[in-house]
Amino acid sequence: MITPLKALRKNKFKTALIFFSMVVAISAIFLISAISNGIVGMYSTMLKTDGDIIVTQRGIADTFFSDINYTIKKRIEKISNVKEVNALILGAAPVDNLPIVGIYGVSENRFDSYKLISGIYPKSNEVIMGQKIYKMLNSPKKIVISKKEFNVSGVFKSKIGFEDGGVVMRLDDGSKIFHKSTSIFLVSLKDIESKNTITDINHLNSDIEAKTTDNFIDNYNQFKIIKTSSDVISALAFLMGVLGIVSMMSMVVNDRKVEFGIMRSVGLPSKTIIIKLVAETIIIAIFAYIFALALSYIVLEIIQNTQKFQGYINGEITFSLGALIFFTSVLMAIVGTLLPAIWASRVDPMSLILRGAY
Amino acid sequence: MTLRANNIEHFYGSEHILHNISLEIMPKKITAIIGESGSGKTTLLAILSSLLKPTRGTIYYDDILLSNIKNIDLFRKKNIGFVFQFHYLIDYLTLKENIALGALKESDNIEELIKTLGISNLANRYGNEVSGGERQRAAIARALVNSPSFVFADEPTGNLDTKNAIGVFELFRNFKDTSFIVATHDKKIIDYADIIIEMEDGYVKNISSQRT
Ligand SMILES: Nc1ncnc2c1ncn2[C@@H]1O[C@H](COP(=O)(O)OP(=O)(O)OP(=O)(O)O)[C@@H](O)[C@H]1O
Ligand SMILES: [Mg+2]
Repeated sequence: MITPLKALRKNKFKTALIFFSMVVAISAIFLISAISNGIVGMYSTMLKTDGDIIVTQRGIADTFFSDINYTIKKRIEKISNVKEVNALILGAAPVDNLPIVGIYGVSENRFDSYKLISGIYPKSNEVIMGQKIYKMLNSPKKIVISKKEFNVSGVFKSKIGFEDGGVVMRLDDGSKIFHKSTSIFLVSLKDIESKNTITDINHLNSDIEAKTTDNFIDNYNQFKIIKTSSDVISALAFLMGVLGIVSMMSMVVNDRKVEFGIMRSVGLPSKTIIIKLVAETIIIAIFAYIFALALSYIVLEIIQNTQKFQGYINGEITFSLGALIFFTSVLMAIVGTLLPAIWASRVDPMSLILRGAY
Repeated sequence: MTLRANNIEHFYGSEHILHNISLEIMPKKITAIIGESGSGKTTLLAILSSLLKPTRGTIYYDDILLSNIKNIDLFRKKNIGFVFQFHYLIDYLTLKENIALGALKESDNIEELIKTLGISNLANRYGNEVSGGERQRAAIARALVNSPSFVFADEPTGNLDTKNAIGVFELFRNFKDTSFIVATHDKKIIDYADIIIEMEDGYVKNISSQRT
């Protein structure tokens, strides 16, 4: 193998351009995937807390628009495999000067899933606040939600950005704001494997629909929209990356025609020249990947600490995402280099003689 | 190996450049192709050396028909070396790496070649760190690395001063097992060539043997 590193060093400027166009493309893929994964992940975690089964209004597979009758809760609790039922109202409303904040009206038995760092759980007309929004609003004693005033009884801490930047109140207070008795039930089970419980719940009332939380999340339309958009943007970034490599590599090949002519004249097969060029871009891709990974961490850190986003945008770079994007980067390099490399491998050594003739 | 060209005709577009050329290149000789500028020296050299397909006619290396060779890369690697006027080296590789570029696994003569060509102390320098004459010597070493039967050189001394040019021709004489085919204006070649092919307007005007 002819040392690709030497060739890259020799062609510093173009190597740098290819490097940066790859960094931009890979970072874009990283950020959009991490952010969409983060949002989906946070919301999933929230629903999965004490929720093996999720109950929504029949036909409305959405946590915000769902509207079910609170009294069904007692009947679900009587099913033998059911451990606990949490009732939740999920909504969003302006809080003081913030235009939109997640508001959670929850049944009393869910309070313990919010870890207080100060104060006590709320009574009527009281709320507890996630520490992020609490800080943002400068540790208020009272807040106004949809023109109603609430006393702040405590502050809790949550890893889930939607909660840490949200406000939790009693279910009946939430009910008054959002004009429904309950959005969803989250049901935890004694025996998770038992499949009958879902059927049992569905038989209780024709207005409700029970699904395993996993199943619900997999089919949740909002998530599908987020994921599809992120996939489309990633695909476009990939394409941009490929195009960037193709155009830069075409120039590189043109600059280095003599070199490829020499290789052909000493009998190096086309394959060797193609592999050599692809190896060069793969090396750039690996460095670009590392750089993009670091850059993405920094950008995500900045986004997470940007007040404006209230902690709702939260990137998550998992190992599998990192691995997937690594292979995507290598693929980008290969796809982008293939055409110029084939072109290079066909350089006619005759061109070296012709230079002498003219 | 003996190289035979039979009834070669060549056209660039509609321009008839080479006319009915038949000749034989003997092994282990230095053959010079001389003639005025534009007489077709380079074109003939390119055709003989497999770089250019003639419009008509056949080229045989012993009894192998050139146009029938499937793996021309491997054939070149084993049998044919090239030296160009601009002694093209790859500039991000050292002289030694350039020489080894097309070396077959079994070629273990690199050190010896470097010594014979008098560039031992320069082997680890890059192409742009040595003189033109030294570069050309490295290019000649590269052409010889697999001990090919033929080395084709187009104006190998075109960029060199008299002293270096003579040095190149003398070098050719050192490699007695290889046949050198040199297309050149350089009259000095006449003192070194065994056979001289004179071109004129695309015809072979005369072939003469210098020694026997
Ligand atoms: N690629 C080409 N396309 C068209 N015409 C060409 C091409 N290459 C060479 N010719 C023409 O063919 C003729 C022979 O060219 P060639 O290069 O073989 O001559 P030469 O003897 O090597 O000349 P010189 O001594 O100047 O190198 C010239 O008239 C040249 O203009
Ligand atoms: Mg010529």
